[in-house]
Amino acid sequence: MPFAPVFRSEWLKIRTVRSLLATLFALFAVTTAFSAIASLEPEDQGADPLFTALSGTALGQVAAVAFGSLAVSAEYREGAAVRLSLTAVPRRGLWFGAKTAAIAAVVLVVALVTSLAALFAGLAGLGDAADGPTTAESVRGVGGGAVYLTLMALFAAGLATLLRSGVATLSVLIPFILIVSFVVGDALGAVADFMPDRAGQAVLRAEPDGTLGPWAGLAVTACWTAAALLAGAWRLRRQDA
Amino acid sequence: MTSIDVRDLTKEYGTRRAVDDLTFTVPPGRVTGFLGPNGAGKSTTMRLVLGLDRPTSGSARLGGRPYASLPQPLRTVGALLDADAALGSRTGRDHLRVLAATHRIPDRRVDEVLEETGLTPAARRRVRTYSLGMRQRLGIAAALLGDPEVLMLDEPSNGLDPEGIVWIRGLLRRLADEGRAVLVSSHLMNETASFADHLVVLGRGRLLADTPMREFIDARVRPAVRVRTSDSDALENALARHGHQAVHHPEGHWTVPDARVDDIGRLASAEGVPLLELTADEGTLEQAYLDLTAADTEFTARPQEA
Repeated sequence: MPFAPVFRSEWLKIRTVRSLLATLFALFAVTTAFSAIASLEPEDQGADPLFTALSGTALGQVAAVAFGSLAVSAEYREGAAVRLSLTAVPRRGLWFGAKTAAIAAVVLVVALVTSLAALFAGLAGLGDAADGPTTAESVRGVGGGAVYLTLMALFAAGLATLLRSGVATLSVLIPFILIVSFVVGDALGAVADFMPDRAGQAVLRAEPDGTLGPWAGLAVTACWTAAALLAGAWRLRRQDA
Repeated sequence: MTSIDVRDLTKEYGTRRAVDDLTFTVPPGRVTGFLGPNGAGKSTTMRLVLGLDRPTSGSARLGGRPYASLPQPLRTVGALLDADAALGSRTGRDHLRVLAATHRIPDRRVDEVLEETGLTPAARRRVRTYSLGMRQRLGIAAALLGDPEVLMLDEPSNGLDPEGIVWIRGLLRRLADEGRAVLVSSHLMNETASFADHLVVLGRGRLLADTPMREFIDARVRPAVRVRTSDSDALENALARHGHQAVHHPEGHWTVPDARVDDIGRLASAEGVPLLELTADEGTLEQAYLDLTAADTEFTARPQEA
């Protein structure tokens, strides 16, 4: 069985469900809006202007995570749609690969547009008050931010495949992203820099202040994502559907 | 043409044996009724055939190959497992397009199966708004999508209205007449009797019978004759003189076991007993089935399959 038609099928699955499209729109709207708001009233003048301009990403990632987990958990609701999917594509590795790729492609495109819009909205809000980021930093922030959001969506997709539930995935990830990382993160110090969300967000800073550089941070997030996807794939391949 | 070959198939969930050393074949060109109470292992067997569950031992093959190794599975096997497999927020047509895309089946074929299952008017409505009968039809449409040689339908008439039940009977007949192998599970006897040529009967995961339906019934239910008369005493006496033990039913008719219509008719005529009705009381599938399972008292106490 070739990959392309299976990928197309998974892409159609995303395109034909309104709630998934709404989540993608929320990703764009929330990230851009909060970047603009944060830039109008920066907490302190010395703040990293690139990070301030892209700060909506921290909230927008909730939508990315929701998208990743919903795209997978739609297969595991009552009636177990996954059985029908695996009847059409019995090679589970191929099926999971195509689903992951479709989620990644969709989120990456939306996140690139989102990060770019957020950057412009943020810079407009900051005005001339601060030294703007350099072009190279901006490109890295936008591209890296989009990759970061994609990795978080895939992290959620992997976890949802492992747990076979969107509710379970979101109840683990959302508190983790919104609370644990913020509150406990500071107490843990350097260890917190290796959390999936904190590590990847280094790429949003003109001058990362943590242990990890921008690309190293993104690589750490990628490792978390890979681990979640592998765990999901393991359960999918090993267990009865 | 392709057949389903189940060999020594066993599936254990923990300590429970859902399917126990099952062997049978579903050949092309006939409708095989897959019969058994809830929890007998019918659905599990179907999931094993489709490679969704892994057998503890044994194998299930389609035309000699395991399902997962079929190059284009939907063009070989069409299956209906669960009417709720379609996502409520998608339209019926999109649900089928998603499946069709995996095999590069064109939208034209999607519209064909929608037409065939009578769903065209509802095609662009969300599945959430469908009745159970419509979701069942959508599941059947999905099974037909790849024009498969083998059809495997789990309780397809579930939720169908009387018109739908007549429709599915005709559909199953036609599919078998076109030379396809058709396996249809049901726990309803009368319904199965209306479409099946052959029976595979399961009980607690084990094979209880694998025979043509007519033989199954004839071997288990003794033929009888149903008689109604205006002169009960005369009939009873006449029958008794010829060694028949007739049973009188409160509704007014008599049943003569182990008899044939020809004999009773001649006898009544010779004895001058007036007959109002004389029919052969052929065994029903239900009677045969109950006879088969009567020995197995645990049957009725089995918990429902998850």
